[in-house]
Amino acid sequence: MKRLRAADLVSSLLVLAGVLALWWLASHQQWISKVFLPTPEAALTSLADGLRHGELAGYTGATVLRMLLGWGLASLLGVLLGALIGSSAAARAWLQPTLEFIRPLPASAMLPLAIALFGLSPTMVLFVVAFGAMWPVLLATVHGFASVHARLREVAGALQLARSAYVLKIGLPNALPDILAGMRLSLTVSLIVAVVGEMIASQAGLGQAILLAARSFRASELFAGVMLLGAIGFASNALLALAEHRLLRWQHP
Amino acid sequence: MATWGMAMPSWRSWRSWRGAVVPLLLLAAFEWYARTVAASSDTLAPPSAAALAFVKALADGSLLAATGFTLQAAALGLAIGAGLGLSLGVLLGLSRRAAAAGFLAIEVLRPIPSVALIPLAMLVFGFGLTMEVSVVAFATFWPLLILSQAAARQVEPQLLEVAAALQLGLAARTWKVVLPAMLPRLFVALRLGVAIALVVAVTVEIAANPNGMGYALMIAQQSLDPALMLAWLFWIGAVGVAINALALRAQRFAAQRMGEVAA
Amino acid sequence: MASSDTVLRFDAVGIHLGGREILSPTSLTVRRGEFVCIIGPSGCGKTTLLRAAAGFVAPSSGAVLRGGRAVSGPSREVAFVFQDYGRALLPWRSVEGNIALALEAAQVPASLRPARVREVLETVGLTAHAAKFPAQLSGGMQQRVQIARCLAQQPEVMLMDEPFGALDAMTREGLQDELARLVRDTGLTVMFVTHDLEEALYLGDRVVALRANPGPGRPSLARLTDVTIPRPREQLATKEHPDFLRLRRELYGDLGHGHA
Repeated sequence: MKRLRAADLVSSLLVLAGVLALWWLASHQQWISKVFLPTPEAALTSLADGLRHGELAGYTGATVLRMLLGWGLASLLGVLLGALIGSSAAARAWLQPTLEFIRPLPASAMLPLAIALFGLSPTMVLFVVAFGAMWPVLLATVHGFASVHARLREVAGALQLARSAYVLKIGLPNALPDILAGMRLSLTVSLIVAVVGEMIASQAGLGQAILLAARSFRASELFAGVMLLGAIGFASNALLALAEHRLLRWQHP
Repeated sequence: MATWGMAMPSWRSWRSWRGAVVPLLLLAAFEWYARTVAASSDTLAPPSAAALAFVKALADGSLLAATGFTLQAAALGLAIGAGLGLSLGVLLGLSRRAAAAGFLAIEVLRPIPSVALIPLAMLVFGFGLTMEVSVVAFATFWPLLILSQAAARQVEPQLLEVAAALQLGLAARTWKVVLPAMLPRLFVALRLGVAIALVVAVTVEIAANPNGMGYALMIAQQSLDPALMLAWLFWIGAVGVAINALALRAQRFAAQRMGEVAA
Repeated sequence: MASSDTVLRFDAVGIHLGGREILSPTSLTVRRGEFVCIIGPSGCGKTTLLRAAAGFVAPSSGAVLRGGRAVSGPSREVAFVFQDYGRALLPWRSVEGNIALALEAAQVPASLRPARVREVLETVGLTAHAAKFPAQLSGGMQQRVQIARCLAQQPEVMLMDEPFGALDAMTREGLQDELARLVRDTGLTVMFVTHDLEEALYLGDRVVALRANPGPGRPSLARLTDVTIPRPREQLATKEHPDFLRLRRELYGDLGHGHA
C-alpha cells in the first residue's frame, strides 16, 4: 500500500475540487442546460431529502440486497462447481469450450429468457443476477485449481495426501487469489444486472428510480441516484479489496 | 508430456472434438424437451425452430441491420473511450506527479457503474446511436485508463536506463523505447476494451435503446416469439465469441511483432 | 547380505520416455544408512531414476523394490527433495505450516504436531524463522524447509534431486555440511542426484555414474565406485585428500567432459 505523501494528497484534492468547481460553473452558467445538468447543491439536496424523507434509502437497500444475495449465491456455486471442474483435467477438457462460449455473453441478455420463464418478479431478477455473476467466479476458480504447479501436486502425492485434504489444503489456497479476483468481477456484474433488471422489470430499486427520474426530467434526482450507485460500487469494491488484503497476507508479509 | 515426432492424427482430432460433445448433447436434450414436454409453451422453442427463425431474420436483413448497429455503437464508443483512456493513462503512467494528482478524482468517478448513466444519456441524447456511444465510451474509458497507466509504469526500468545512457531526447525516448515497450500490454487492454464495449452496447439496448441486437432480443420475447428470442440469444453469444477471438488474434500478433515470447 | 539391510533395490530398471530409451536396464542396491550419489551428464536419466524410486515414474521394464515389494506409486516412507524448492513449498503457509503439512497428511494427532515440528526445525537450524513465509526466506533457507518437511515424514529413505543446484557456492557448502551432519546423527539413507562431481565425492559413500544415450554394449550404468575418503569430511581438507583427487580424476570422464 503506497504511502500518500502530503504534497500528493494536496494536489489530488485540488484536482477533485477543480472537477467539482467545473461542475458548479457549468451548471450555474448554463453552459449545459439545467434540464440535463443540475447544480451540485441541487443534486446534494435531492440526495439528502431522498434519503431522509423520501424512499431513496429503501431503494438503495433493495438494490444492495439484490446485488449481495445474487453475488453470494453466485460465488458459492461458482467456487463449488469451479473446484470440481478445475481439479479434474478430464472435466476441464470436456467442459472448457462450453464455458468459454458463455464467457462473452452479456449477463443481461439472459433477462428476456428469464422473463419468459419466471415473469416480471424479484425472483426473476435475482436469478439473472446470480446466473450472470456466477461465470467470472467459476472460470476463475477453474483456472485457480488447474494452475496448481506440477511440483505441488507431486508433493501432495509424495505425502499421500487424501483427495479432500488436497482440495482444502492445496487446491483452494492456490486458487484463492484467482477466486477473489473473480469475486470482485462478479460483484461488478451483480450490480450492473441488478440495476438493469430493475429498469426493465419495474422492480423497486435505484435502477428504476433513476429511469423514472430521467423520464420525468428530474435531473437532480437522477444525479442523486447515480451518486448513490457510485457509492455502492465504491464501498463494495473497497470492502472486498480489504478482505482480499487480509486473506492474501502471505503475498505481502 | 512430449511426444517427439509421433503424430497420431486420428487420436488428436477426436480429442479436439471432445469439447463440442457437451453443447451438442445439451442442444439435443433441449430440442427433445421443447418438442415434447413444453410443446405448447409460448415461452420456449426447440433449437430447430430457433435456427429457422435465425435464417429468416438473416434473409430479411433485420439480423444484419441490428448487428451492424450494435457493432457500430460499440466501435465508436470504444474509439472514444479507448482513445481518451489510453492517452490519459500513458500520461499518468509516465508522470508520477500527474498520477498522484489525478488519484482522488479517478477513484471518485470510476466506481459509477456505466448502466447508471443510461437514463442520463437517454435524457440528454434521446434514443439512438449517440446515447449508446456515450455510455460505451464511459464504460471503456476507465479500464483502459487504469491498464495503460500500469503498462506505462511497468516499462522495464533498465530500458529507460539504456535510453538515458544513449542520451535519447524525450521525443525519441517515448517513440523508440517507451511506446514499443508498452505495446503488448496496450493490446491486452484493448482486447478487454473490445469485450466491454460489446457487452455494454448490448446491455444499453436491453435496458433502454430501441436499436440493435439487445433490443431485437427484448422485442422477440415481448412478442412471444421464443424461437426468434433464442436465435438472437445464440447470435449475440456467437458474435461475442467471434469478436473476442479476433481481438485475441490481434493481441497475439502485436505481442509477437514486439518480440514477446508467446504466452 | 541380510535383506533387511537393503532399503532399495533397482532390479534391471529400464525407462522409455517419449519413444526414447532414457535408461537401459540398470541394477543396483542401496543399503540402510548409505549415502549414494548419482552423477552423469545431462540426459543420462539420473533424475528419472530417482523419480522411479519415488514412484513418480513407472519403469518400462524391471522394477524398483522397497522392502521386497515393487514401488507402484509415491509413499510417505520415501521423501523427495525437489531442486526447485520455491515451487515445492506452499507459499501461503509459514515455515511451521509447511512442515506441519507432512504431519497432517500422515494424520499425526494435532496435539503431537507442534513438538515434532519444533524438533525438525531445530535439526535444520530454522527455529528462529518458524513463523516466516517462504517469500521472506533466502534460497538456502527455503531448501532447508523442504528438507525439514521431508524429515518430518520420518522416511525410510530420502531422495534428493540436485537439491543445491540452484544455490550459490557458499550456501551450497554450508548445506552440504549440514546434510552430512544430519545424516550422521539420524542414520538416514540418502540417494542424491547431482551434476557436481566434487559434491558427489564429498557427500557420498558410493557414487553411481550414468551414461547418456545408452546403446547395445553401452549400458546406462557406467561405473559404481566406493568412496574411500574417511569421515567426518571437511570442505578444505577433504578436497586435498589423495583419494578425493584420484576418484575425481577417474570419474571426470564419466560426466561427459572431453566427449565429442
